[in-house]
Amino acid sequence: MTSAAVQKQDAESTLTFNTSRFGAIEVDLDKIITMTTPFPGFPDSRRFILRPHGPESPFFWLQSLDDPHLAFVVIPAATLLPDYRPKLGAATETELQLEGAAPDLLLILTIPPGQPEKMTANLLGPVALNPRKRLACQALLDPSLYELGWPVFTDK
Amino acid sequence: MLILARKIGEAIKIADEITITVMEIKGGQVKIGVDAPPHITIHRSEVYNRISEENKKAAQEAPLDLSSLATTLKNRS
Repeated sequence: MTSAAVQKQDAESTLTFNTSRFGAIEVDLDKIITMTTPFPGFPDSRRFILRPHGPESPFFWLQSLDDPHLAFVVIPAATLLPDYRPKLGAATETELQLEGAAPDLLLILTIPPGQPEKMTANLLGPVALNPRKRLACQALLDPSLYELGWPVFTDK
Repeated sequence: MLILARKIGEAIKIADEITITVMEIKGGQVKIGVDAPPHITIHRSEVYNRISEENKKAAQEAPLDLSSLATTLKNRS
C-alpha cells in the first residue's frame, strides 16, 4: 500500500473540531457519541466526544463537537458510587438500542469555581451510554429517589 | 395556550399518537394518564427544568484545570 493511500484513509476516518478548552482536536469518527435526545438546556449539541482527563485521573471531559464552548466534567458512576444502578425505564433502553445490555453511566459534576471540594454529582440525571453503538442520552430519574446535587466529598 | 375543560375519564388527543386522560381529581391533585409511543419521552416539567438548570451550571463552571480535583478525590478515601 502506498503512503498516499494510508493518508487518504486517515483523512476519511478522522475529523478536526474546534473547542474552546482544547483548541483544534482530531476525532476518530467511530469514537463520536451521538445523543439520541439532546441534553436539557443544550438542544443544539448532538455530537460529543469523551476525553480522559489524564492517565491517573478518574475524570473525563464530555466535549460537544457542535458547540466549542460546551464541555461537562464527568466521572463514571461505577468509580464514584459502585452501588448506583438506577432503573432507566423502557423508553430510554429502547432509545439507546441496549437490547438487554447494561449501559455505562456517567455522572455530570458541578464544580463551584475555586471550591472543588464542594463539587456535586448529578444523580438525578445520569448520562446513559451504549458503548457498543455510541449512543447516549441523559436519563431523567425520580426526584424522590435521586439527588440533583449529591455532595461528592461529604461522608455518607 | 389552548385551555380545555375535562372531567374524570375524559381525554385529550394530541396528533395521532398521544392521548392524555384525566384519571382522578382529589385534594388539589390531578392524576393524568399519558398514552404515547415508546420514542416519546415524557417528564414532569419541574424535573426537566431542574436538570436543564443544573446542566447549564455544570457547563458554565467547568474548570479548565482538573489536576487538583483528581488529587482531592484520591485523598478522600
